[in-house]
Amino acid sequence: MPLLETQGVTVRFGGNTAVDDVSLSIEPGSVTGLIGPNGAGKTTLFNTVTGMQRPTSGRVFLDGRDITRKAPAKRAHLGVARTFQRLELFLSLSVRDNVRVAGDIVKASRRGAYDVNGETDRLLELTGLASIADLEVSSIPTGRARVVEVARALMTHPRLLLLDEPASGQTEHETEEFAVMLRGLADTGLGICLVEHDLPLVMQLCATIHVLDQGRLIASGTPAEVQASPEVIAAYIGNEEVTA
Amino acid sequence: MDLFLTYTILGLVLGSVYAIAASGLVLTYTTSGIFNFAHGAQAMLAAFLYWQFKVAWGMPTLVAFVLVVCVIGPLLGIVLYNVLMKGLRDVEEVTKVVVTVAVLLGMVALSQWIWDPTQARKMDMLFGSSTSIDVFGVVVRYHELLCVVSAIALAVALRLVFTRTRLGVTMRAVVDDPDLLRLNGYNPERIAMSSWALGSGLAAFAGVLVTPVAGGSLEANTLTLLVIDTFAAAMFGRLRSIPRTFACAIALGLVVTYAGGYAPTQWDWVSNFKAALPMVVLFLVLLVLPQDRLRGTSQTRTRERARVPSVRQAAVWGLAFVAIMYLILQVASPIMVGPLIAALVFAVIALSLVPLTGYAGEINLAPLSFGAIGVIVAFHTGIVGTGLAARLNWVGIVAGTIVTALVGGLVALPALRLRGLYLALGTMAFGGIVSTLVIKEIQPRHWFGLDIALFPAGILVVPPPKIGPLDMAKESTFLMTLAVLFAVLGIGIVALRNTGYGRRLAAMKDSPAATAMLGQSLVKLKLSVFMLSAGIAGLGGILMASTAGSVSAENFLIVVSLSLVMLTVVGGVSHVSGALFGGVMVGLVFTLISGTFSGLAIEHPEFESLFGSFAHLFAIAVALMGIGVNQNPTGVVHQICESYRPLRNARPVLYAGGAVAAGVYVLNYVGVYGDWWLAILMFCGVLLLPIVGRIWMPERMMTPAELAEHEARRTPPPELMGLDQPLSDTERFELDLLLGLPPRPLPLQEFAEELEQLTGKDEVHAPA
Repeated sequence: MPLLETQGVTVRFGGNTAVDDVSLSIEPGSVTGLIGPNGAGKTTLFNTVTGMQRPTSGRVFLDGRDITRKAPAKRAHLGVARTFQRLELFLSLSVRDNVRVAGDIVKASRRGAYDVNGETDRLLELTGLASIADLEVSSIPTGRARVVEVARALMTHPRLLLLDEPASGQTEHETEEFAVMLRGLADTGLGICLVEHDLPLVMQLCATIHVLDQGRLIASGTPAEVQASPEVIAAYIGNEEVTA
Repeated sequence: MDLFLTYTILGLVLGSVYAIAASGLVLTYTTSGIFNFAHGAQAMLAAFLYWQFKVAWGMPTLVAFVLVVCVIGPLLGIVLYNVLMKGLRDVEEVTKVVVTVAVLLGMVALSQWIWDPTQARKMDMLFGSSTSIDVFGVVVRYHELLCVVSAIALAVALRLVFTRTRLGVTMRAVVDDPDLLRLNGYNPERIAMSSWALGSGLAAFAGVLVTPVAGGSLEANTLTLLVIDTFAAAMFGRLRSIPRTFACAIALGLVVTYAGGYAPTQWDWVSNFKAALPMVVLFLVLLVLPQDRLRGTSQTRTRERARVPSVRQAAVWGLAFVAIMYLILQVASPIMVGPLIAALVFAVIALSLVPLTGYAGEINLAPLSFGAIGVIVAFHTGIVGTGLAARLNWVGIVAGTIVTALVGGLVALPALRLRGLYLALGTMAFGGIVSTLVIKEIQPRHWFGLDIALFPAGILVVPPPKIGPLDMAKESTFLMTLAVLFAVLGIGIVALRNTGYGRRLAAMKDSPAATAMLGQSLVKLKLSVFMLSAGIAGLGGILMASTAGSVSAENFLIVVSLSLVMLTVVGGVSHVSGALFGGVMVGLVFTLISGTFSGLAIEHPEFESLFGSFAHLFAIAVALMGIGVNQNPTGVVHQICESYRPLRNARPVLYAGGAVAAGVYVLNYVGVYGDWWLAILMFCGVLLLPIVGRIWMPERMMTPAELAEHEARRTPPPELMGLDQPLSDTERFELDLLLGLPPRPLPLQEFAEELEQLTGKDEVHAPA
């Protein structure tokens, strides 16, 4: 059974269809890529999965369970976590507290023991943020801030992690380390979905890639299959060549 | 049938006025993102101005009307926008709210200064009350006709403007994305300014129309708060949609009129209920509004900077506070103890805002109304003994606190699904309900098998508390108990901020979307903090009633609540010290200043009007403090603390300051001078010490950059050399070097010194 499945998800804003009848799935223990030109509906699709946006029609399943009408917080309890394309950090807190507060939330809303401080230290170490943990989060560069969001999301022990352009703002070296970390996370059984414009990173990391264009799913498959797809080339380079 | 028609027409008229006022609110909010709480105050000022022009100065109706509605109204909007609102882009919601609330308070103070409130003023209908037409046998005055016709015209005009004109489309665009609009060559600020002009014009129009409809007598507070009645309509339009706002406004006008007209006359509560109806409708609207969609905010850091003290620091401050209160108690004259108690009581109420507004970013505009709930419960449950032996026991205090927390939760729950502003509006409406409905429950009524009056005879007599052996009948005991209570609550609130719960509140304030996505139910978290806050306000209210001995409706006026909220934000709402500032200002400084001025006026009758003006000026100055919060949104106390920070490196200055303070205190203790001098000297001393430090020990107080600038200012720049005294040989030599002229020879010894300096500096190259 796939970890996440969307069935015919459609989102309309007035007359504008942002996501058009998209059905796709994400497997646990792998990195799935979601690519497409700007305005293709990638972030909107993320929003429907996390509950920030109700789909106009279609359904979303997590582990075969229908979560289409569940509140965002409920979905987080079920194991969905995300990062944001436009950063959503807790700007008045330090890097450490940004990560720690996620643990505070877990501890307050679920039963069972949860070692907030221990987990915080472990994840700061894992994501390489330990050296800047005591800085104000508003003072660190964007690339690092994206990693803070990842660490924060990992605090909830998710099963599905949605990353919205996590590499933008990172240096080449940081991106390499980031890729290694993501693969390591996937190996632990986490399902990762990656929206990213850094195509070399996507091709290198992802087992499966879904391509969106103008809200429609135009291709799905391995990196090689997707790269060979004429629709994908048309979407990325422009339509003229295809029609000509 | 005739009766029905009459009520319908009256309802339509009232609804039309609501619609005009509410559409002004929506218009300014959508284009500038600022909800104008002063909208009603603007309407009030317009009504008074119109009265001044028309009745006092005898201008023709049309001239007065045009002057007020088409000239002064819009002009006021333009001034408000340019001077205040434009600067409110990168601040928290509470700062925006407080600035407009300050404008409201300032306008009320100004109107009471110009138009003596003890004097009655009547305002007739436009065109007089005799001009009328006949509609199916019902007499409709021209004024009433004007209300309805202009509301319809406005609805049509706004619709056309928004859909058909470039201005309207750009106005809608301002809301969605001002930056994109700027890129397209429009100036969002000009658009926002024109909407403020239009909105303020509509406020003025509504003010002139509503006064005769509502009975004709001009009363500043009533007219100002009339705007609360229109909140429901604006909210039904989700602060965005003009047609929905109009629909709700008209419905509201009809419902209010029918309720008043058709309710059986033996229901004595109907007239109170009628006054409260718009606010009841507001809560109903809140219930039916769909939940806000969670959206990411475009994150720009706001200008507020709160520092979170550790529990240890808070404990030290708490102890110091209790010690200082003890010292003050030793020297204060007995008549000062009452105001000091009042200050602490208000500080406790203001403390309720620290977790709610300071930590969680939610706003309660009517903390005193929650206090009123606490008082009512405590009055009915906790009084033992009679006469002078009567005491308030702990049961009353605890029950009052808990019930207030529960009521707070009930009130806030419908608004919590929505943005913070809706909660602020909801609390203000709750304040309206408390003062129009709850406090008016002065007759015994049959409630759940008991015959009690909530607020018997309009006055609640609350004796001093007695908890176990601690009897607070003696004022000094009461004061010290309050000081300890405030310190303990303050430390507790700081400790709360340092727990996981406090961090969750801070996270929710910074990014609700991310907090929800991590699994936090926002409604639960907001509800819990609102209940905590309401509970503290309830406790403070009980103590307030108990110190005052008795309370009536006057103690719970919304205007007082607004002042307290405003001054707490001025002091710094994220800090316990800000609550103390707010409490001291409302409880102590207000009463002291107005008491002093009225005392002076009685002593010197020849200067009575002068001292009266001073009292009014003070009220306006306080409002200006609130307006100034935009300059320093983190708060005054924070600013003072920051100025003391560098003093840690300059211990001698601190010790000297402490010694001077002790000296000032001792001189007062032995009776060299009175309390006023002590207060003034201490106040000046506290403010001046950092400045003294900078002059005395600049090298320890300043950062290297500041120090360099300081040094540069002390040595005159070369172009000023030789102006106040003739150039010395060395200076002439240096000047020649700077200008690249062949230097005139120096006397040998000085030349050697100069050479040493130059080679040491290695910067200036002497020409060969």
